[in-house]
Amino acid sequence: MKKVNWLISLLVLVSLLLTACGGGAQSHLDKIKQAGVIKVGTSADYPPFEYVDESGNKTGFDIELMEEIAKRMGVKVEWVDMPFDSLIAGVQEGKIDCSISAFNYTEERDKVVDFSEAYYTAEDAFLVAETFTGNITKPEDVAQYKVGVQSGTTQDDWLTNVLKIPEQNLSRYDRADQAALDLKSGRIDVMMADAIPAKALAQKIGGLKIVYTGVLSSGPMNIVLPEGDTELAKAINDILKQLKQEGFIDQLAQKYFAE
Amino acid sequence: MIDTPYILQAKNLTKIYGENVIFKDISLDVHKGETIVIIGPSGTGKSTLLRCLNLLTPVNSGQIFLEGEEITAHGVDHDQVRQKIGMVFQNFLLFNHLTALGNVMIGLTKVKKMPPEKAKQKALHELERVGLADRAHHYPAQLSGGQQQRVAIARALAMDPLVMLFDEPTSALDPELIGEVLGVMEQLAHEHMTMLVVTHEMGFAREVADRIIFMEKGSIVEQGSPEDLFERPQHARTREFLGKISELYGKKEKK
Amino acid sequence: MVNQFFSYIFQGTSVTVAVTLVALPLGLILGLLLALLYNYGGFWVSRLAAAYSLIMRGVPPIALLFILYFLLSGRLINLTPFWAGSISLGIISSAYQMEILRGALQAVGEGQMTAARAIGMSRLQAIRYIIIPQAIRLAIPPWSNEASIVLKDSSLVYAIGVPEILRRAQQLSATTQQPFLAFGAAALIYFVLVFLVNRGLDLLAEKTKLPTSMA
Repeated sequence: MKKVNWLISLLVLVSLLLTACGGGAQSHLDKIKQAGVIKVGTSADYPPFEYVDESGNKTGFDIELMEEIAKRMGVKVEWVDMPFDSLIAGVQEGKIDCSISAFNYTEERDKVVDFSEAYYTAEDAFLVAETFTGNITKPEDVAQYKVGVQSGTTQDDWLTNVLKIPEQNLSRYDRADQAALDLKSGRIDVMMADAIPAKALAQKIGGLKIVYTGVLSSGPMNIVLPEGDTELAKAINDILKQLKQEGFIDQLAQKYFAE
Repeated sequence: MIDTPYILQAKNLTKIYGENVIFKDISLDVHKGETIVIIGPSGTGKSTLLRCLNLLTPVNSGQIFLEGEEITAHGVDHDQVRQKIGMVFQNFLLFNHLTALGNVMIGLTKVKKMPPEKAKQKALHELERVGLADRAHHYPAQLSGGQQQRVAIARALAMDPLVMLFDEPTSALDPELIGEVLGVMEQLAHEHMTMLVVTHEMGFAREVADRIIFMEKGSIVEQGSPEDLFERPQHARTREFLGKISELYGKKEKK
Repeated sequence: MVNQFFSYIFQGTSVTVAVTLVALPLGLILGLLLALLYNYGGFWVSRLAAAYSLIMRGVPPIALLFILYFLLSGRLINLTPFWAGSISLGIISSAYQMEILRGALQAVGEGQMTAARAIGMSRLQAIRYIIIPQAIRLAIPPWSNEASIVLKDSSLVYAIGVPEILRRAQQLSATTQQPFLAFGAAALIYFVLVFLVNRGLDLLAEKTKLPTSMA
């Protein structure tokens, strides 16, 4: 979803040379609980997952989720806003206790930090007009049609770099609803978007249907935790499990992604 | 203080820059109140000799005594010594960021640690001595070359030096400004200030000097009273030099 | 809305100003010390100062920031993001300020030192009372330039989580999809700050200017 900064590799190297002085007898989780505060890093420039509203308050799917997790741990969140590229280094060097910022698991990252269980998996959907007569049974099939996508999204990235769809077949839009309107009017044949907003759009605009859903452009999202911190990982994973069972996460997804 | 008739004494001074011998084996005795003029062609080490005498430049060998005490000895505080030896430079070297008064005062307040009010009184007095009390609040850039050089003299005098060194004090001046500086120096000579002057001003040398030293190629060729040197020079080189210089001086006069 | 929008970005100004107010004087003190060592420190000390300047001008500020904050802070020293950021920028700036000041010190000229020594001043007294007051005057215009650069470079501290003007603009740009408005507001604030700094230093230069004309 986002890139790993080259600086992280540098940091890994140098920190191996310096080797951390090792924590005290108290575990990380105990320290967090004792302080009553968990320092959570996020890059608040990625709506709807984490962003600031116009009064400067942090909000978004990840933000609300983390606030709930902290509440159940009995602590408060102290948000530390950093550029995305600094977050892994921040966790790794103990400047923040963990980070939630729409992180996907990658092997590269797993070398230096740990990941919680996935808390959300963004599904993609292909949307067509109800009058569409073509045939889309597998993702690759869209390559032969005129496809619309919101510019700069993970779907845009997937269509351009993974599917390598010919440029003349790809239309990029500033907003998803613009693409949906063009889909209805027949200027494009297929539209690719996040599954939840795609469903909502189909309902709102009418005359559209979903022909395919699946995990294509981004993988499951995980909270980034310090390497080897099994105690904190367990505490967070347990709460995530509860939240999933209670339907809290689905509600949150509806709130943030369904428009 | 050691009992000695000499204020300043140099013994066998030699200065070498790399391969160049600037001067060699120079000895010099300066009596209290004496005005000595050093003459000679350019590049014969006269200016370097003055710089060596107040320790701005180290000598390679030889000794220098101030009031009988060796100042070239190990462990002597050079800053202390330089307070007692005033120096006036060819290109004035006033402190550009200070007024005439500030230039004269700063040595008193910062080096001698004199209270500012007292320093100001003394500085004004020194400026008066060189006839520039009315220019006290002018910056160097607002003064003529002659005025700047007179301030530089006042700056050196303010430190109450035992001896004053003048390194071609009028060479950088327009001809019409030379007189005012020489006038101040002449007045100092009359007040029996001990002075060592490197200059090409033969008129001044003849009128004011107690003794003239002719230097060439790093050595003292001849020395004596103005009459002896100008009227009865012993060495051919002295005669030749004086001939050339008076020709030049004469031309200047005509202009 | 625009009002609120602008006010959120404007709140970053105090961070920008605070970082600059730490980095610039720190850079000045270090830079002056280094410039003096370079000019008066003798062969090896002077080489060391030159090497420092070369290295620090070659290091990307962000790399120094990361090294200081993520690697050294917590191990050797304990620094908050604000201090780590300000000190990093101060260190980088010290190399540039050293270059400015050593140029200015050299421009004052050997003669002033000679004249000061001739009235019995020590080297340190001469540097303090004669050389530095003149060098500072010469250094004000290029220094004003460096001040603007540090002011703008202070935005780098966002990389370790200090929310200054630029970071806030980024956030609002992401939220509102109005990058022109967000970055425009940030640019305006920077412009005003740089303008004030330059104007202030111009006035200082004017005030401390030595008269040049013959009166």
